Amino acid sequence: MSLRILIAVDGSAYSLRAVQHVLRLRDAGCAIEPHLLNVQIPLESGHVRMFIARESIESYYRDEGLAALKEATAALEAAGQPCSTHIAVGHLGQTIARYADEMKFQLIVIGSHGRTGLKHAVMGSVATEVLKLASVPVTVVKNA
Amino acid sequence: MPEFLLDPSFWLSVGQIILIDILLGGDNAVVIALACRKLPAEQRRKGIFWGVAGAIGLRVVLIFFALQLLALPFLKVVGALLLLWIGIKLLQPEHEDGHANVAGSTTLMGAIRTIIVADAVMSLDNVIAVAGAARGSMALVVFGIVISIPVIVWGSQFVLRLMDRFPVVITLGAALLGWIAGEMLVTDVTVKPYLAGAPHWLHYASAAAGALFVVAVGTWLGRRAKPAAVAPIREIPLEPPRDRHA
Repeated sequence: MSLRILIAVDGSAYSLRAVQHVLRLRDAGCAIEPHLLNVQIPLESGHVRMFIARESIESYYRDEGLAALKEATAALEAAGQPCSTHIAVGHLGQTIARYADEMKFQLIVIGSHGRTGLKHAVMGSVATEVLKLASVPVTVVKNA
Repeated sequence: MPEFLLDPSFWLSVGQIILIDILLGGDNAVVIALACRKLPAEQRRKGIFWGVAGAIGLRVVLIFFALQLLALPFLKVVGALLLLWIGIKLLQPEHEDGHANVAGSTTLMGAIRTIIVADAVMSLDNVIAVAGAARGSMALVVFGIVISIPVIVWGSQFVLRLMDRFPVVITLGAALLGWIAGEMLVTDVTVKPYLAGAPHWLHYASAAAGALFVVAVGTWLGRRAKPAAVAPIREIPLEPPRDRHA
């Protein structure tokens, strides 16, 4: 049975490195079933909901999500690897960890931006948070 | 160097105003971005520009009204109560219901109208809080408006990411609103004479009580409102729904 892998994708070069790593697993002989997941931070506070229709916000999430998934999907396709794509809305780290858990994935692969210093203090690391929260194995592909 | 630059309470107010602008300005940024999204590129640029200009103009007018009004007897008490309420509301979990029924506007005028009406409603809290934190200093009021501009124009992703990473920012902001409310309460012209003989630290005690009140009541209500079961993960279908507008 092939390994169900959840690749967390944010549209950056770092998530492409995560995709490359998964392809390496395949090339080494591992049967894989990759899924790409992009998570959007929820926009709607009470005020935003008052003025913006639900469909507009949903289509915003969809457009942003598809844009973030585009390159990673193309990279897998170029390597002849079929995959599924998903967009979810929620707290970034929590949602990735929960998604993997509930959808019975066996591995999460996520790229790390490798931020340091002040940038790390403000922006933090989604990868670190996923490591902390996930109940399935996590592979972090670090920015070299 | 002007003397007020050496006054620590001036810098405290500056910090308060920046936090208020970041915390209460994110919504405006989201509304502007979403209201203009369906416009063609050239019109979108115009929509964002005029939307922001209108929103800021409106905010200038509102804040000068607020400053005049806050000088009237009893109105600082009203303002303080409003701030307490806004702070408590900030701590409540978001519900899924109550979405606007308006279809996304596809005309430039429609988008600008949405932005300005939304700002009129959304900047009320910002205006009262900034007027309170500025404690009558015109320089600080102007500073508050200037700082809110970049937050509204470019800040939405940054603010969202910050709150996603540090949910405690929201609690801090709510406490700050309570703090300002407590300060406003004891400086109202009708309240002041009764406190003539009070010790000088009463001002801080009242502010601290306001902050505590907001955090305690807000957290308590928030816990009660939270559904017992964990909400399912919200997934967005990749294909847009086929509806009458499509």
